[in-house]
Order: sequence, then structure tokens, then C-alpha cells
Amino acid sequence: MNKQFLKAGMLGLLVAGWLNQAAWAQSDPTGKRRVTSTYAITNATVVKAPGDPGSKATILIKDGIILGVGASLTLPKEAKVIPGDSLYVYPGFIDGAGTMGISKPKEVERPKDFVSSTPPDEVAGITPWRMATDTYSGASTQVDDWRKAGFTLSQVVPDGGMLPGKTALVFLGEPKTTNILKVNAAAAANFRSSRGMYPATLAGVMAKFRDIYQNTALVIEHERMFATSAGIKRPQTSPTHTAFMPVVQKQLPVLFAAGSELEIRRAIALQKELGFKLILMGLENYESVIGVIKSSNTPVLIKLQVPDDKSIKSQKAEGVTEATKAQYSRVKESYDNALKQAAQLEKAGIPFGFSTADAKAADVQKTLNTMISNGLSEKAALAALTTNPAAILGISSMAGTLEKGKLANLVVTTDTLFKEESQIKYVISDGYVFDYEIKKKSVKTEAKPEGAPNGVQVEGVWEYSSETPAGSSGGEITLKRENGVLGGSITFDDPSGAGKATAPIKNASLSGKTLSFEFDVAAGGMSLTVAISGEINGKIMEGSLSVPQMGSFPVKATLSSPSQAN
Amino acid sequence: MKKHIYLLAAFFGLGVGMSQAQVQKGSVLIKNATVLTVTKGNLESSDVLVENGVITQIGKNLTAPAGITAIDATGKYVMPGIIDAHSHVGLDVVNEASAPITAEIRMKDVVNPQDLGIYRALAGGVTISHAMHGSANVVGGQNATLKHRWGSEDPAAIIMQDAPRTIKFALGENPTRVHGRGNGIQPRSRMGVEAVIRNGFNEAIQYKKGWEKYNLAKAQKGNILTPPAYSERLQTLVDILDGKIIIHCHSYRADEIYMLINVIKDFNIKKVVFQHTNEGFKVAPEIAEYTMGASVFADWWAYKMEVYYSTAYNAAILQKNGAITSINSDSAELIRHLYHEAGKTQRYGGLTDEEALAMITINPAKQLGIEDKVGSIEVGKQADLVIFEGHPLSSYAVPQMTFVDGVKYFDRKADKEDQRQFVAATEMVEPIFLRANEEAHRCMQDVDKYFEAFQGAFMNGKQ
Repeated sequence: MNKQFLKAGMLGLLVAGWLNQAAWAQSDPTGKRRVTSTYAITNATVVKAPGDPGSKATILIKDGIILGVGASLTLPKEAKVIPGDSLYVYPGFIDGAGTMGISKPKEVERPKDFVSSTPPDEVAGITPWRMATDTYSGASTQVDDWRKAGFTLSQVVPDGGMLPGKTALVFLGEPKTTNILKVNAAAAANFRSSRGMYPATLAGVMAKFRDIYQNTALVIEHERMFATSAGIKRPQTSPTHTAFMPVVQKQLPVLFAAGSELEIRRAIALQKELGFKLILMGLENYESVIGVIKSSNTPVLIKLQVPDDKSIKSQKAEGVTEATKAQYSRVKESYDNALKQAAQLEKAGIPFGFSTADAKAADVQKTLNTMISNGLSEKAALAALTTNPAAILGISSMAGTLEKGKLANLVVTTDTLFKEESQIKYVISDGYVFDYEIKKKSVKTEAKPEGAPNGVQVEGVWEYSSETPAGSSGGEITLKRENGVLGGSITFDDPSGAGKATAPIKNASLSGKTLSFEFDVAAGGMSLTVAISGEINGKIMEGSLSVPQMGSFPVKATLSSPSQAN
Repeated sequence: MKKHIYLLAAFFGLGVGMSQAQVQKGSVLIKNATVLTVTKGNLESSDVLVENGVITQIGKNLTAPAGITAIDATGKYVMPGIIDAHSHVGLDVVNEASAPITAEIRMKDVVNPQDLGIYRALAGGVTISHAMHGSANVVGGQNATLKHRWGSEDPAAIIMQDAPRTIKFALGENPTRVHGRGNGIQPRSRMGVEAVIRNGFNEAIQYKKGWEKYNLAKAQKGNILTPPAYSERLQTLVDILDGKIIIHCHSYRADEIYMLINVIKDFNIKKVVFQHTNEGFKVAPEIAEYTMGASVFADWWAYKMEVYYSTAYNAAILQKNGAITSINSDSAELIRHLYHEAGKTQRYGGLTDEEALAMITINPAKQLGIEDKVGSIEVGKQADLVIFEGHPLSSYAVPQMTFVDGVKYFDRKADKEDQRQFVAATEMVEPIFLRANEEAHRCMQDVDKYFEAFQGAFMNGKQ
């Protein structure tokens, strides 16, 4: 039984491999290979750097490099021209630290003689030698989402325990190419303890961090002695110490995840005590430590998300006691202050960047606009997306601004960046152009919505994602009722290559809260009928996606834009 | 030459002051109170003058220098700030329960100045608490002595920086349960506990020798001796052997108390305080002779086997035998009325007012090594003071104001409804301020979680 599965799997791999080969060796039957790597965006409003008011110019890129920005560039014949007359061009956004495309590494099996007071490093979450690139996939939908939000470069942070591994700088470029800019950018660290073994608590993590640091320093001395004189005992350097050497030698910064004020203080205290280079990421509550950040000169990457306003909205105006009202006002005060934090960093003169870890790509515009309406200047907001993270990551010479010779990472918008109605038309990362559809402004009508039996809203655009053995995939489901018949279309990852394919929805029905429908997928000359069925609760649908002979997989969808039809 | 040294020292002192957290110091004149100095008797209708955090004058009819507020305390009592020698208030973590010796753990790393327990303790007149590691391990972590400067955002600002280092040890059922029964490693018995301590100290002696040898050799030409591994765990044990750290040992039974006394005699350790010490009354003369005394509950026992043989006369017996004795809380609830707990020594043992008050002031100060700075009302000491309505040993006593370094951090008349320092922006549910298990010991906090996790692993390993 198992063997058969294995055979089937091998066959699948072989076929897939052969298909891939064929696709590249022949004359690109998919028609998706790009014709040229030279592009020119002509006569656009180009904002070269934060603070630049923007001026009309043409920007020419080739092979992932900006060849020039100016009013009178000579365009080569092979340049594909993108008319930019109504468009605005900004430097591509840089994610200071994120986890997009990163999967959790396999859990390490405990040895037979495991003792929880002295666990092997690898079991205890101490794996500083691991590389983020080993668990990174540029084809992840998360990467698509963040690219769509304007991000072109990210420092990806590996998942794991207190010292999960080395971060990497990656482009959010064409997934089929190598997108690595730097494989060893920082040593990731956080205050995550190990479950049921040493270090089991925050206190243990801090002690273990010191231990690793101090012993690495001694190992460096031992290795130096061994290399320079005879008769020295052989050093038995552990992978942990080897990996931590550049940290102790202050060549590699420690990227510490510190969300709260106390975590920020603790990380800075460790830095002061030991003397390593420190970058803080994922800051959420930092209002009271801005002075500490400033005086310690610690580079910070704040979380690109503001707190949700659910608690504020749920506050009742009537029927509550004075005491409850007083508590409400403290939550409101805390919420208001949280929104102002980024502006306060700017006021304190701290050049911060953003961290996308645990943030939502779909909320980027809203988050930035909230920060700006709470006092952050547009210049500082753009700097936090471009020049500041470039400086913190040590790549200012190649990224962060639009200049000749820099990496071709651009964001092209329909209006000035922080205008509410501004949309992203193109994102160019590593010289690859990603073209996005511009949503038309919905025309609000007076008519009441109909076609929502049982109070279940089904019509509109649903964003869905599903987990299959081939990885996560997703797209949009558009549902509409015409003459009482439910129908529409669905987009999904094209099985024959990159990008999205669209198929019409058939046999759709809504009974009670359960929505079910089918659609056909063409793959390798075959056609498969895929069925989705799920229960709708408010704007969320949860259910399963089933594929014949493959089984069913969980699917989750969110009604992102309910239709205000008729 | 001398001048240079003086200048240098001043400069150095300034440097240290600047690198440490800003600590607020206040000035105040408390007038016309009954001053219970604890060490120098009671003074009727007297005044206490505090300048810049320090008691500068005690006497009658003092006048407030310009700019110093006077508080009329007519009919009220002033006593030294209460000191709790066993607490876990203000800590984010209590137990790193994962190894029998975790001397490298520092509670100073996990101090949380926003813990509401600190304010509640202030409302009970407590100005200093000994924030201890838990009792899951034979040798636990290094404790932090906290000054209750409520409202500080920086943990360093509530740590009493001039207090000596202390460390937690634990004997008996807790470490044998966690490590022996729970995890199948030493110690599984009281003999095992002793072995862990002796082995630890012996290893520390070897560790110290190893480093001494290396430090001598590395200066020599042609040295081939490589540096030994660094271990803060062993270095801390070395520091105990060198008399730099006071041991505070969780203990109940007389036999194990006597065992530890033998161990410290063998290793020539002088600085030991026993905690809980429910059977201390059986070995009171030995405790008096060889240790820095015992810190006990007034009347709390029978919560596990080793705590059955107990008596409310324990504190008085220890005290009468000459052991330095203090009464502690080990609880975020008891800490609010330690003056009641001290009063119990009068009902059970007939101690005098001064002896009873010493149990929660100068005696715990001695056990924490800070008796030259706090613990009594004397000129030159830090101005940690409490004003009581009613004598503090009366069951009708109510603390009115609490001062740390001359700064008022609690005033019953200006007690805000909501004392929280941090409110989450996303808080949905109205908070419930009381913790259901507040009255329970916190000595074993974090251990359950640890237990669950590793027992799961244990089961998996067996399958």
C-alpha cells in the first residue's frame, strides 16, 4: 500500500520535472517567459527618495538595475515601454524583518537518553546555524500578498526557538529565479523558551543567551591558539558556537524580536552587558521606552500593524456603570496612544523601519494612513518603508532610493502614495514587473441588497486560501445571483505555470448556511472537477476543497467586498 | 595625590549613578506622631525629618526647611517600612524548574515594575520585598531585593541596587518531586538533595581552580593551556563559597535544616537564612549559632506532608533562642497585612511590641544584608516609612501613607480606583482584578506548566 503511494509520488515528481524541462528547453509554450528584461516607465511622476516632492521623469531599468532616471533618456529598442503619464513611481518598499514564505522547520526528535535539564541545543530551540533560506519559499502566497502591497525586498527570519537561525535578504521577485540578496544578514533571537526543558522560561532564555555568548568568546580564543601554536588541545567547537562567532566578533547583528516595553528593555540590557550589535524587530508597545531606544542608539523595526479597534467599537455608550466607563476611557487612551507611537519615534529623531512579521499585508495602506493621521509625516512614513530599513540592513548603497545603478525595485501607484484612493498598479522587484488590476470605485446606490436568504450574505468577492500537500494556494471567488441563479468565477494558482487561472463556477447552491459549488481545472491535458463546500458565518466561510482521487483539504474564505448589488 | 583619588572616585560615582536608573528621592516632615523606631524605642509626639530620601532628624518641634512639606500625624503612628523577606511579587517568572541547579538564573532579569501586587503591598505598608526564585530546584536562581517605587517603568528603578546578592535554595518535597519523581534524575530523596548541594560546591571548587590555573598560565610565554568553559552556574556557587551571596533556603523539617547546617560548616559558608522553617523550633539553638536566622510564617502549615509538624509558637521560640527571626508572606495576599502576622507572635509567645515589629522590619533587613540602610527609624537611614492609624500591632490598624526614600507612593486618601500602569489597547473584557489563587503559595509558580510539558514528552518517550 505504502509502496504504491511512493511509486505514484515518484511518478508525479518525474512527470512534473519533465514538464518543467520541456517548458524551458523549448520555445516556451506557456508564453509566459518575458520578452525583455529592459523596461522604461515614461513620463511618470518619480519620487526618488523620501522628501522628494516628485518630478516628471522616465525611469529605465535593465536586468534588475536602474539604468537611469531623467527627463531625456535615450531608450534602447528592446525596452518595453510602460506609459507612466498618470502614474507615480516610488522606491520599492523594504521589509526590515518578516516571516513571509517561511515555514516551520521539522521538529527535531528527542534522543533516547534525553534529559530535560540538559537537552541538545537543537531540541531546545538553539539552532543559530540554520538558514532562513532553507525554509523559505518565494512561491508562497504570503510573498504574493506582500509584493502586492508594494514590498520588493524582505529580511526573512527563520522560525524556531530562542535562536532560530540566520536571516536572509530576499527579493520578492519572480519565484522561479534565485531571489537571494544576502544569505547571512543577522542572527535571529527571541525570548521564546523551550517547552518542558532548559531553558523553560524567559529567565532561562536570558541566562542561556549569556552562556552561549561567553563561551563563544572563549572558543574563539581557543581556536586562535590552536591555529597559531603547536601542542594545543583540539578545540571541540559546537555548531552553536561556530554560528555565534560572527555575533561575538560584532560582524553580525542580533535581530531580537521584542514586542513589549519590558522585552525591549531586556534585549537592550543584554546588549549593554555583552556588547553585541543589536536590531530590534516587531515592536508593538514602545511608547515608554522611546528614550531608552534613543539613548542606546538601537535600530528598531516596528510592527507594521496598529491595534485593531474591536475593543473600542464594543464599548457600550449606555447601561454601563461609571467604573466601567472609567475603564473604557483607559482602553481608549491606550488605543489612541498606540496609534501615535510611530509619530513619537519620528519626533524623537529615531529612523525606524517596519517589520511585517505577524502583520497583515491587506492592512498596509490602512495602517500607514492611520499612523499618518496620528502625526507621522509622509516623509517619515516613506523613509520607514525605504531608506531607513536599507540603512539598518546595510544595503543603502543598492536599495532604498531611485538612482542610477541601484536595484530595480519600484512601486508604481495611480496617485500619490498615501492618498486613500491611491492604488498600486505595478510592483517591480529585481527587475521583474508585476502588473495589478486597478479596482474601479464602487458606485454606491440607494437600493437595498437582496438575495441574501436566511440573512446569509454570499454575493461579492471572497478571498480564499487552502492548504494542500503542494503548499498553500488561494485566490478569489466572485459570486453573483442572476435571475435567481447563483454563479460567478474563481481564480486559482495556474497548475501549468506561474500566475492565476480563472474558471467559471457551476452547480452553485446555498442551503442554510452551507455554500457549495464546483469548477473545472485544466491540467496537463486533463480536466479535473474540484468541489468546494463550506459553512458561512458572517463574512467567514470555512469548509473543504475536494479534488477527485486526491482527497479533500481545508479551505477558508473571507468576504472581502460584499456586493451592494441592485 | 589624595585629591586625585578623591576626584576619580567622585567621577566614578557619578558615572555609576548615571548608568543606573533614575531613582526618585523625596523630602518630607512627619509631625507629632508616635514614632516606633524599632531599634531605639518609641518616641511620643515626635517628628521625623526626611531630606533627599534620607532621615536627617528625629525629635520634637522640628521645623520644615523651606520647600519641604509637613504632614500632621497627630494621634498616628510612624514605623519603618515593612520588609518582606520572602515574596514573588513583581516577577514575570518564578521558577526555572528545568534543572536541579539553576544558580545562573537572575530574577533581576524578569522584574516587572507594573505588577499591581507592588501597589497592594505598599497599601499594607511594605516598602521592600525579597523577590525570590521558586523552590522547584535544590539551588534556584539569584533573587532580587525590590524597593516598591510604584509607577517606575524601568525594572532597574525598583531593584534595590545597594542590596547584596542573595540566592534561593530548596530542600525536601519540592525539588525531589520535580526532579526525582517527575523527571527521574537526582534528587529523588532528601539524601539526594544533600548530594546535589555537595556535588555542586565541589564542582565549583574545581571550576574556580581551573580558572585560576588558566589565568596564571595565559600570561606566561608559550602557554598551551586553553581557556576552560564558562559557567555562570558554577561561578555563582563559587561566589557563595567566597561569601559574596546570602543563601535563602526553603526548608521545613528539622533534619534537613540540620543537614544544611552541616553542609555549610563543611564548606565554611556563613551566610545562610532558612525560609519557612516550620520545624525550626526543634533546632533553634543551632540556627542561632550557625546561620543568619529563619524567616517563617506566623501560622501557616499542613498544605503538604512535610509541613504538618508545626506551631504558631515557632517564631517566638526561635527568637527566644537568639535566632534572627522574621515573618514573611510568600503570598501576594498575606503581604498586605504582615503587621497582623507579626502581631500573632504576641498571642503565641508573648513577644513585646518591639520584638514583634522587629520580625517585619529590622530582622528581615538583617537577613537581606541591608540593616545598615533600612529596617528602623534612625538618622542616616533611607526614609522608608509608614504612617498608621492605630498601633500597627492592633487588629484595627490601617496604614495611611507609605513612603520609600521619602517619596509617598501610597496615600489612603488619594487612592485611585484604577492603579494599573499598563492597559492593553485591545482589551475587550472588563478586567477582574483579583486572582483566584492569590492566597496560594507562589513558590511553585510555572512548575505545573513545565510538568505538563515534560510529562507529555515522558509518555511519548515510553510509547
